[in-house]
Amino acid sequence: MPPLLEASELEAQYGWTKVLHGLSFGVESGGITTILGANGAGKTTTLRAVCQMVKTGGQVRFDGQRIDGKSTEQIVRLGIAHTPEGRGTFVSLSVEENLRLGAYARRDRTGLAEDYERIFQYFPVLAQRRRQQAGTLSGGEQQMLAVARALMSRPRLLLMDEPSLGLAPLVVREIFDIVTELNREGTTIFLVEQNAHLALKVAHHFYLMEQGRVTFSGTPGQLAEDEVIRRAYLGSRQAAG
Amino acid sequence: MVDLIQSTLDGVMSGSSYGLLALGFTLIFGVMRRLNLSYGPSIMVGAYLGTLLYVQFGLPSALVAAVVVAGAIAAAVYVERLCFAPFAVGAGIASMVSSFAIWMQLEQASILVLPRHSYPFPTLGSGEPWQIGPLLLRADQLAMLLALLALSAGLYVILYRTRFGLALRAIIDNRTAALLVGIDVNALMLKAFALASAIGGVAGFLVLAANQQVTAMFGMWATLKGLIAMMIGGLGSIPGAIVGGLVLGLVETYAHALFGPQIRDLSAYLALFAILVLWPHGLAGGRAEQATPQRGERWTTI
Repeated sequence: MPPLLEASELEAQYGWTKVLHGLSFGVESGGITTILGANGAGKTTTLRAVCQMVKTGGQVRFDGQRIDGKSTEQIVRLGIAHTPEGRGTFVSLSVEENLRLGAYARRDRTGLAEDYERIFQYFPVLAQRRRQQAGTLSGGEQQMLAVARALMSRPRLLLMDEPSLGLAPLVVREIFDIVTELNREGTTIFLVEQNAHLALKVAHHFYLMEQGRVTFSGTPGQLAEDEVIRRAYLGSRQAAG
Repeated sequence: MVDLIQSTLDGVMSGSSYGLLALGFTLIFGVMRRLNLSYGPSIMVGAYLGTLLYVQFGLPSALVAAVVVAGAIAAAVYVERLCFAPFAVGAGIASMVSSFAIWMQLEQASILVLPRHSYPFPTLGSGEPWQIGPLLLRADQLAMLLALLALSAGLYVILYRTRFGLALRAIIDNRTAALLVGIDVNALMLKAFALASAIGGVAGFLVLAANQQVTAMFGMWATLKGLIAMMIGGLGSIPGAIVGGLVLGLVETYAHALFGPQIRDLSAYLALFAILVLWPHGLAGGRAEQATPQRGERWTTI
């Protein structure tokens, strides 16, 4: 079976600056795939490129269909949800309105009430804060809201950008528990994470990225964790030498 | 005392038309984060179209109103496609400068069709003021107040009770996130632009009906009054637009009553200056946090 999301020779640039130099990767259906790499390796840009939020080259296929050249809004409607860097909370809107916007692109509006129920089961704190302005939530609650909002679109693929960023360890663990739980229920997840230890614990497959290129691809366990971390953050060249 | 009450009444009435103009202006600014200088001239295109049909065929007032609104919307769509859609949110200056160029274009096009300095405009009602005790009240001015109340209530319902409004508020709040939940931001911006100019069209019609004439200065007048009222109230704030319009109307009318007509326009700028010094974010300063750029979003106002 071909991967759910497949990119070949993916390039991306901001203005004149190229950030991704021909990246190829696949995200298997039903799994958790993660990209590891140092700051500035192009991890966030990779997710943005999938959603066509930057100028891209190369091919991206979702479920066999070419999606490069489509608009962000069309891609979202195909069933890709993206929790962006910085969480993308609508701070002046209420928690409930944030969730309602999550379902904005959904064609079938049946089962909305059940989805609210399901999400409030996952995130009871959001149920308590339903009418509260989302900007008043704590960082962890906003990250939960970002995931919850993404789920409201009933995505087939969830792109997550650094869900652990700036959160207390306990909250991070809670969020990662939810991520694995969601995956077990069938959502394919493509995760970008700084915290390699955490990401390797949940992922089925990982890519190492350096300066806009993939330098290694494999399953956790294939490389010792300290080796992964050395390569991801110190660079493969130094590691090889 | 009677003079003061009469002035207040007049100020609220003319302030209502400024509030309407600012309402459209602020809607565009809130959604686009960019200034549309062609706002007034777009309304002028509609007004000139209405005037042309009125002068040539004696179209009744109601139809002229419809033509003014439709013309303003059509011109606004033209402006949006030309000056706003092609540029990114960060390119505020490019949009503003090009909307200035289109201002000239729209104004000249209007003047080519109706070259005289002024033309008659159909009135609302008989134009005779009602006498209520010692006070005078004009039907066309009352219509401005009613229109302000009705349209701001309508806008509130659209923004807070409809899916379209929710999406608009999402764009105003966080454009990137709005894209990521699947909102077609470009299409919605065009709709918001059209809606804003429809409100402006209503304002334009009511003002011209009260003046009973239209002049070639109308485009500039509408942009300036709308801009001042919006800035007094606070950029992008809907309650601010209403408050700003009323404050501007009152200041102008009081200045007129106290110091004579020459001071009227000057007082508007003085009021703007004083208010911006005291409350840099406008009177509805509660939205101050919105006037600062959000993470990952660079925008330029002026």
